[in-house]
Amino acid sequence: MKSIWIVALLCTAAAVLAVPTLSAHHSGAMFDREKVVEMKGTVKELQWSNPHIWIQVVAQENGATKEWSLEGGSPNTLSRQGWRATTFKPGDEVTFRFNPMKDGTAAGAFIGAKFSDGKTIGRWD
Amino acid sequence: MKPTSALCVGALCSLTIVAVNGQSAAPSVLPDWSGAWTLEGPTVFDAATVQPKNGRAGDAGVREFPPYTDEYEALYKKNIEGIKQGTFPDPVSTCGTPHGFPRLMNLPDVYEFAITSEKTLIIGENGPNIARIYTDGRKHPAKEDLWPTYSGASVGHWEGDTLVFTTISTKGWSGKDVIVDRTGLILSDASRVTTRMRKIDPMTLEAQMVIEDAKALKATWRVTKRYRKQAAGTWAWDYACAENNRNPVAPSGKTLTLGPDGKPIDKKVD
Repeated sequence: MKSIWIVALLCTAAAVLAVPTLSAHHSGAMFDREKVVEMKGTVKELQWSNPHIWIQVVAQENGATKEWSLEGGSPNTLSRQGWRATTFKPGDEVTFRFNPMKDGTAAGAFIGAKFSDGKTIGRWD
Repeated sequence: MKPTSALCVGALCSLTIVAVNGQSAAPSVLPDWSGAWTLEGPTVFDAATVQPKNGRAGDAGVREFPPYTDEYEALYKKNIEGIKQGTFPDPVSTCGTPHGFPRLMNLPDVYEFAITSEKTLIIGENGPNIARIYTDGRKHPAKEDLWPTYSGASVGHWEGDTLVFTTISTKGWSGKDVIVDRTGLILSDASRVTTRMRKIDPMTLEAQMVIEDAKALKATWRVTKRYRKQAAGTWAWDYACAENNRNPVAPSGKTLTLGPDGKPIDKKVD
């Protein structure tokens, strides 16, 4: 089993409906909305830019380092939800939840995150 | 005169409608639609008919039921199938073109409204999207002076506190460039949308749209959208879609995902 996966939840239909859909400017067909992955990693970079923010995360997988790209909403929307360009800093140890890519690519649609001090952002319940 | 008094007089003057060509039926003071507003509910255009109920635009199998002609029903079904296959891109993924009207009334992020006696601007933060609604008494340009544009040509007038405007000359569906929402919903370049927009309570704006389209619709289609006022002091920002667009569209119609180096990270790029 891949070491990065703390939890890989195949959700029920009801749970899927509870997960907010990324408000994107593009098709979301590449994401598996029925699957929620939880992954612990180290923030490499937050790209605070339009049309979407991207969180670059480095995680360990089978003893090797792998970089993941997690896509969020627009800075415009997120800033009104309390996010800032400094919300994720390089080196932060964070646990992320996201809808993974259907094809297994190291990327996904951000759902929520929990910092090492227990604070959360996004959907985390 | 004290500066504050001068400002008040100036403001009153700017709020007073001046009749243009003798056609103004506007209120003596223009409505206050100040602040920032957001669309109520998700970006399904016709939430009254969407199936499954509460379905979200872009999810496979979600559709609405406009009174389409057979031709446009077939086109819509083709788009819906493309969504299921992951080969129906949102045209705005290209970054740079407006969403088009009436999709402009169906945007995420915030709206702002600028009302003057000459015109009302509907400004969508998620853009570039601006609807210019001329209320100075002008008519639509003559047919030979028009060409299809994303946001079309809108003229209107005030009926009390209600802005009534008609939008024509929009691009419509050509097979690639303008949709009404991400279920694959479309109209043709023959659409004519009459919108009645007013504040129904201090926190809610309502737009009632009557949509006619001789090519796409066999009957009038009525859709109502509502917008919720946001907290005082809410900011709107640039939405520079091309700033860091990591989701370009491949020739196949598949939406790609780029890594931080700008190269596709999809396992299969076709």
